[in-house]
Amino acid sequence: MLMLEHVAKSFDSLRAVKDVSLTVPQGAIIGLIGPNGSGKSTLMNVIAGSLQPDAGRILFDGHDITDESARDIYQRGLARSFQDPSLFFRMSVLDNMLLPVKQQRGEQPARAPWHRLWRRDEDAHAAVAAANLADTQLRGHYAQPASDLSGGQMKLLELARSMMGDPKLLLLDEPTAGVAPALAYTIFDRIEALRQAGLTFLIVEHRLEILFNYVDSVYVMHLGEVIAHGTPADIQQNAQVREVYFGE
Amino acid sequence: MLNIDLVATLIALLTFFGISAMIALSLNLEYGLAGVPNFGQALFVSVGAYTAGVTYTRLMPLLAGRDVIDPCGASLGQALGLRSEIIRTVPAVGFTNFAVTLVIAALIGGVVGYLASYPALRLKEEWYLALVLLVGSEIVRIIVRSYDPIICAHNGLSGLAQPFAFLGNSRLSSMAFAGLVLTAAGLVYLYTQRLARSPYGRLLKAVRENDMVAASLGKSVPRARAQVMFIGSAIAAIAGVFFVTNLGFASANDYAVAFTLDIWVMIVLGGLGNMRGAVLGALIVTVLDRVTQVMAIQLDMMGSQFEFNYVRFIVFGVILLLMLRYRPQGLLPEPLETTRAHAHLAEAGD
Repeated sequence: MLMLEHVAKSFDSLRAVKDVSLTVPQGAIIGLIGPNGSGKSTLMNVIAGSLQPDAGRILFDGHDITDESARDIYQRGLARSFQDPSLFFRMSVLDNMLLPVKQQRGEQPARAPWHRLWRRDEDAHAAVAAANLADTQLRGHYAQPASDLSGGQMKLLELARSMMGDPKLLLLDEPTAGVAPALAYTIFDRIEALRQAGLTFLIVEHRLEILFNYVDSVYVMHLGEVIAHGTPADIQQNAQVREVYFGE
Repeated sequence: MLNIDLVATLIALLTFFGISAMIALSLNLEYGLAGVPNFGQALFVSVGAYTAGVTYTRLMPLLAGRDVIDPCGASLGQALGLRSEIIRTVPAVGFTNFAVTLVIAALIGGVVGYLASYPALRLKEEWYLALVLLVGSEIVRIIVRSYDPIICAHNGLSGLAQPFAFLGNSRLSSMAFAGLVLTAAGLVYLYTQRLARSPYGRLLKAVRENDMVAASLGKSVPRARAQVMFIGSAIAAIAGVFFVTNLGFASANDYAVAFTLDIWVMIVLGGLGNMRGAVLGALIVTVLDRVTQVMAIQLDMMGSQFEFNYVRFIVFGVILLLMLRYRPQGLLPEPLETTRAHAHLAEAGD
């Protein structure tokens, strides 16, 4: 589904990502871990098209997306979430949900003033949004501003919102950061349910005790490089990983 | 003793209100909804005035089957007489010329706005764009003031009468024109309100809130900004045609920075992102503007040495500061919900 070949990205003299190759198979949940500053978020930005790589190739769903814009990559079905909740805080929860829907007729200024041209589509999208919100226990909050939600609810809303663009693969950057443990498991249960429905995930996460219960395999990054790849059990036994990541 | 023609004052006030409302609505669409800080609004309004300057002097004589006369040189008086004669005696030509002026002004204004959005793709800070538009507006004004063919440079151009001037009775023609202006303002309100309450309005709000996230969700931020600048600038240029034909006189000095700041006061006072707020802000500022002007004239006639006319600038400055400090959302805050999808969900049961 997603394949990175020798991807590199530097900022002036800082080589944030050096020669990274990894594979995310269809229908898998793959973890990407590493200490702070190891290059995980930069790599996510490169995959999503927010940053252009200096070298290497990125293939998604059979297409070379290396030089494509974030917008084009999203249109291909690769959606992402950010480390900090990246909601539109002054907009309602429902508006946050409806924005990512692709090919909205009412988003064209020539059609927008004529409600009859898009009203039915809008109501249908709202029904889908309501179902996704119900799956994340946010249905009752649809009319509130996104800023009124708790940190955990914001993360859930981001996850629910990313479903509205019919993605094939989700890049999640720390989906449980700042979230209470019980809600963190709820978020990962939702991720697992979505995987069962056919979605693929690449997840950056620091809470390994939760992540390791859900992933198929894990890539470990350190100083911009992948230093290990394997199942959670393999990773926990890997001496190099224990040294750089767990400080042992 | 006050000596005011109340009816004439009311007609003038309604006319200015309608024109101001159109301009405020266009800026509220651009900045209030989409977050594009257009500090060059006077430029886009002036496009309408300059377009009228050209059509009234070149197109209108042709429409009437007359020869075009140079409006600026030695033939200035002759050209002015020709314009007045056509508008007074051939109303069909006056109206056709006015309608064509509106269409051309909207197109030119829209294209200039679209092009002005281009720096937005290059400038990282949105307020740099504000400065670019502010400076660009002044540059165009200074060029027009020193370039004869558009509105006779610093002399300005008179005789750009509104199309009802043929009625002869000035009060009747003013009333008819006020009706036309208010109708146009009503249509602009309906149009902008419908845009704001649509998925397109939602897209503009998202671009305003966080353009990077909007792009990561597959939205074309540059296109959204360019579109809203096209629409807003077209509306401003249309308002500019009404503005200049209401005055009957085009002068580049009317479109200085202070003009833009008046419009900003209207939308900050009324409510950023709320179209009703823009109309309310336009009403309050227009009334204050007229009241201070009438007061200034009255005081002058009574022999006062106090220059009351400038009091409005102080009042507007104080309003702006107080609003930004104590009620930044304006008198009528932006509604949280965009489309009726919210009501649809509420009806579906919650």
